[in-house]
Amino acid sequence: MPPRLTRLLQSGGPFLGLLLVCGLFALTEERQFIFTGGNFKNILTQTVIVAVGALGMTLIIVGGGIDLSVGSVVALTGVLGAKLLVAGWSPWTTAGALVAAGGAIGLFNGAIVAGFRMMPFIVTLGMMGVVRGAAKWLGDNQTINIPADSSAGRLMARVNPAEFWPLPPGVWILLALAVVMALLLRRTVFGRHVFAVGANETASRYSGVRVGLVKAATYGIAGLLFGFAGLLQMSRLTQGDPTVAVGLELDIIAAVVIGGASLSGGAGSISGSLIGALIMALLRNGTNQLGWQTYTQEIIIGVVIVFAVGLDKWRQSRLARS
Amino acid sequence: MNSPLRALFLTLGCAMATLAAVAADPSYTIAVIPKGTTHEFWKSIHAGAVKAEQELTGQGMKVRLFWKGPLREDDRDQQIQVVENFTARKVSGIVLAPLDSQALVAPVTSATQAGVPTVVIDSDLKSDKQISFVATDNFKGGQMAGEFLVKALGGKGNIILLRYQVGSASTEAREAGFLDALKKFPDLKLVSSDQHAGATRELGYQASQNLLNRYGKDVSGIFCPNETVTIAMTKALRDIGRAGGQVKIVGFDSGSQSVLDLKNGDVQALVVQDPVKMGYLGVMTLVQHLQGKPIEKRIDTGVSLVTKENMNEPDMAALLAPPIAKYLKE
Repeated sequence: MPPRLTRLLQSGGPFLGLLLVCGLFALTEERQFIFTGGNFKNILTQTVIVAVGALGMTLIIVGGGIDLSVGSVVALTGVLGAKLLVAGWSPWTTAGALVAAGGAIGLFNGAIVAGFRMMPFIVTLGMMGVVRGAAKWLGDNQTINIPADSSAGRLMARVNPAEFWPLPPGVWILLALAVVMALLLRRTVFGRHVFAVGANETASRYSGVRVGLVKAATYGIAGLLFGFAGLLQMSRLTQGDPTVAVGLELDIIAAVVIGGASLSGGAGSISGSLIGALIMALLRNGTNQLGWQTYTQEIIIGVVIVFAVGLDKWRQSRLARS
Repeated sequence: MNSPLRALFLTLGCAMATLAAVAADPSYTIAVIPKGTTHEFWKSIHAGAVKAEQELTGQGMKVRLFWKGPLREDDRDQQIQVVENFTARKVSGIVLAPLDSQALVAPVTSATQAGVPTVVIDSDLKSDKQISFVATDNFKGGQMAGEFLVKALGGKGNIILLRYQVGSASTEAREAGFLDALKKFPDLKLVSSDQHAGATRELGYQASQNLLNRYGKDVSGIFCPNETVTIAMTKALRDIGRAGGQVKIVGFDSGSQSVLDLKNGDVQALVVQDPVKMGYLGVMTLVQHLQGKPIEKRIDTGVSLVTKENMNEPDMAALLAPPIAKYLKE
């Protein structure tokens, strides 16, 4: 196979998947509603929270880890944010506090995983319960509305819903964060080390990579992003809800995996994960508008995940042989 | 975005514009968005909406109904997405039972800006954008329960009110109505009115057991503001052997278990809503608005008090067991 085609297949797999889904919806009568500027603004807005989470999750999964506590962190930081806003904090300091809180939880996860050499699945499964409980405790088992005129509620607001422009601030911030994370993963020594640790931990250790530090840092950095996702979720609901985002981590992991990452570590890309998140939002959006039953949506999304990963395996084995 | 993709979108865009121009027929597409899809209550709302669709079709109108709950039940963000997606779908209008009075304000506002009117049913929304609010008068329902209990107890005795959940607007209105009806009777003593049962039957059962452990011997009347609390409290009362009329229970809403308890005499009365009518009037009100007819801002769908004596009358029987199968082919 010519090297250019090989590269295209390697990086373009998820993108082809996105085009395929677009193509399928283009065959339906609802295309006149689905392919409009207003609806693409819709889909992008609905993608943002999963996508911000996927940026962090990509880092963790590439490094050979997993984090199941994301949904709980989003809920806790959302409740915390609403409480701080009600207490009179400015939106900017609140945002800073939420990102820091997310980072602290992530760092804690990472420190346990690295320090005690424990399975990240177990550590973060435990943390999922701890943080969810803390969110309900902090919120006194109820939702907390943010002040009605707070500018923190405008991050995800769609002005002019029938047109593509202007996009909500959240979408722009996502794109900026994606660029930063892609550079971090591809262009820095730290990023190289994350790939190395994910691909072969023992070999990395023998070549002088400080594995524990790298691991703790991946969870910490991802935690910052999860805290930010919590801010976005709060802004979207205009309230802190301790029961929100149950199972969000599975959507995020699915997005990362559809985007070509390997759950055994050492492979994955930021752009792929973003497209993975977009594919899932597009599927939900399209099947909603086609009026399909909720259960068919769930089945289709499940099939797509397995199909996407299967396709990826097949592609990689072809590439390895050629 | 690379240029072939942009070309693809442009081509699609042109194709759509042409299609939109051709397909201009005067039919109505209506999205009905419940809080969830598995509860019997929402199936009754669905049946009512389908009843309206059938009637309108019978009058020669073209009506297409979308019935779509949030993908994960009780997930506010998912319900917001459904509202947004139907707004983009450019339905003629939306009938919405908001999961939260605050979180759904923004999407309804966007829908209104995009020219898609919304009728709110079942639970209120803190907004002035909805064209009408079609729901039960829950305060009145609570008052009816209180008045029944006053009469059944002859105006004296110890009363328990086990509340449902903090922040649930509909049940809080019922609880307030109930307390309002008791105010004029000083011989009725409210021994407990500040406990909350919680969302599930199991939590309600635990709370009931705890309360009855403390007040079980002295209590003479109990009000439960929704289905799960009613069922849980009745079960707990049966456990301590004071069910069957020794302690009078008034519940709210009907489910197969609470209807059985009513028949067996463990529950003395149920205040029931009319979800079929709610779904029906939700769609009808929206269509009237779309036709340019004036509509009411607030439509009460009524509550009824069902007891063992009147539960077999046709009207009441229809409320206890809504004719879902007649409208939904499932």
